[in-house]
Amino acid sequence: MKFSLTLALPDKPGQLLRALEPIAKNGGNIISIIHERDKPIEGYVPVSLVVDFLSHQSFRKTIEDLMNLGITIMKSEEVIERLRLTLILVGNMDPRRVIESGIEEMHVINIEMTRSILGEVSARLEIEVPVDSVEKVIHELKRVVVEQGAMLIPPIGI
Amino acid sequence: MRLAIIGFGFLGRNLLKAIWEKISLLRRIDKDFLVVGVANSKGYIYDRNGLNIEQLIISSDLTKHSGFRAKSAIDLIKENLCDIIVEATPTNIRDGEPGLTHIRLALSKGIHVVTSNKGPLVLAFRELMSLAEKNDCFLLYEGTVAGAIPIFSLVKECLQGDRIIRLFGILNGTTNYILSRMFFEEISFEIALKEAQEKGIAERDPSYDVDGIDAACKVVILANALMGRDVKINDVERTGIRGITQEAISLAKKANYTIKLIGTIDKRLEVSPRLVPINHPLCVHGTLNAIHIETDLAREMTLVGYGAGKETVSAILNDIITVLKKRLQATS
Ligand SMILES: NC(=O)c1ccc[n+]([C@@H]2O[C@H](COP(=O)([O-])OP(=O)(O)OC[C@H]3O[C@@H](n4cnc5c(N)ncnc54)[C@H](OP(=O)(O)O)[C@@H]3O)[C@@H](O)[C@H]2O)c1
Repeated sequence: MKFSLTLALPDKPGQLLRALEPIAKNGGNIISIIHERDKPIEGYVPVSLVVDFLSHQSFRKTIEDLMNLGITIMKSEEVIERLRLTLILVGNMDPRRVIESGIEEMHVINIEMTRSILGEVSARLEIEVPVDSVEKVIHELKRVVVEQGAMLIPPIGI
Repeated sequence: MRLAIIGFGFLGRNLLKAIWEKISLLRRIDKDFLVVGVANSKGYIYDRNGLNIEQLIISSDLTKHSGFRAKSAIDLIKENLCDIIVEATPTNIRDGEPGLTHIRLALSKGIHVVTSNKGPLVLAFRELMSLAEKNDCFLLYEGTVAGAIPIFSLVKECLQGDRIIRLFGILNGTTNYILSRMFFEEISFEIALKEAQEKGIAERDPSYDVDGIDAACKVVILANALMGRDVKINDVERTGIRGITQEAISLAKKANYTIKLIGTIDKRLEVSPRLVPINHPLCVHGTLNAIHIETDLAREMTLVGYGAGKETVSAILNDIITVLKKRLQATS
């Protein structure tokens, strides 16, 4: 899992190496690093990193170790990769019920729908979901849609 | 080798035609190759010196053929009158009959079996494969799934070191025809179905196709044969295409997708309508079938071809030739 970190390092030689040590020690794999030495703010240089850790625990341990070294942490958060998915819903249902169903981690981006003379709804839904939650969200969504007697058509491979 | 064709309907007849056209190829592989028997539901004809294929092709009624015996095809198999049978009787997924009895009997007598009949394999895949192994004979079934597409031979011969991780496929030509017409002509499901029925692509009772039963049978055979599973038809979650509206397809189209009936073998087995990006290799139209596999070494591969019709004879004939070659290799 990826984490984004911004540290404020004193503008002195050797500071970056010192900050990287706890990351390596806790098994972090650095994916990107931006060290803006030409932009010191009041004697501090911001360093932005994206690091891959095996667990939340090793990330938390790294933060702790950095703090023990007296390093200022400006920002630290998990980078959540999101997938945008297109889905079709068909049947006698109210698409608002799907949008308002409060399915966790599902973010509705867009919806387009038509209603036939018989009242049957066809809708295209665009959602954004954290990559790791796709299966769970689709499962939940399917349950909500089927409960209303309608059909959910997800893309292949999902 | 002496071949008997059990089931002399659409495929049986077309197969015999192909055998006639390819007879010199077959004789080059096995100089003793003969078609000795042909059976339908009313009886069979048999000649130990080989039937007159040319004459059989043009005769419309087997029962009027000289030497016709009003006896069951079971007798033809039982009496050791052949070395290989092609089982092409109607598919029955309730009890597999009459095909299951024909295949069991043949294999237990050491007779090789080539079949296009899904029923027996859907119901008793493992049993029949181990029966074939025990009696040291072949049971080949390329024609049962996706017609002329050589999926089983390809995997068996050309992907021997690969592990298949997932499989997706358009496994039913009738539903693909209906969904393609809805996509291109912007017509409703009902009209597209009616058109398919008028063209003879869909049956009068279309439920076997449109409710996804046929595709689910193929998912079962693929999962058992290619991915080492031991699954039955009830293990396949199934949704057909009756509920698909023309509006749903139009909405999909606007986002560069189409809707296809997809058989999926993944953690779960499923047959259901799915969105397929229009630039995906699986996105084929009309009565075409397509199978997309993901493997550990080759990664992704897609095969496209005719899923039914007389093209299926290609798969059956290839299976026959495989048996001829392998058996000759073994005896030389
Ligand atoms: N057609 C295709 O495109 C296609 C493609 C792939 C797989 N398949 C499968 O291949 C098989 C054959 O298909 P088809 O289209 O050729 O079917 P078909 O035209 O209905 O022919 C079936 C044949 O089986 C005979 N038969 C029925 N019961 C029998 C019995 N107890 N003993 C001996 N023969 C018996 C029938 O005899 P009568 O002539 O006396 O009725 C008929 O000749 C089916 O299982 C089908 O699902 C078909």
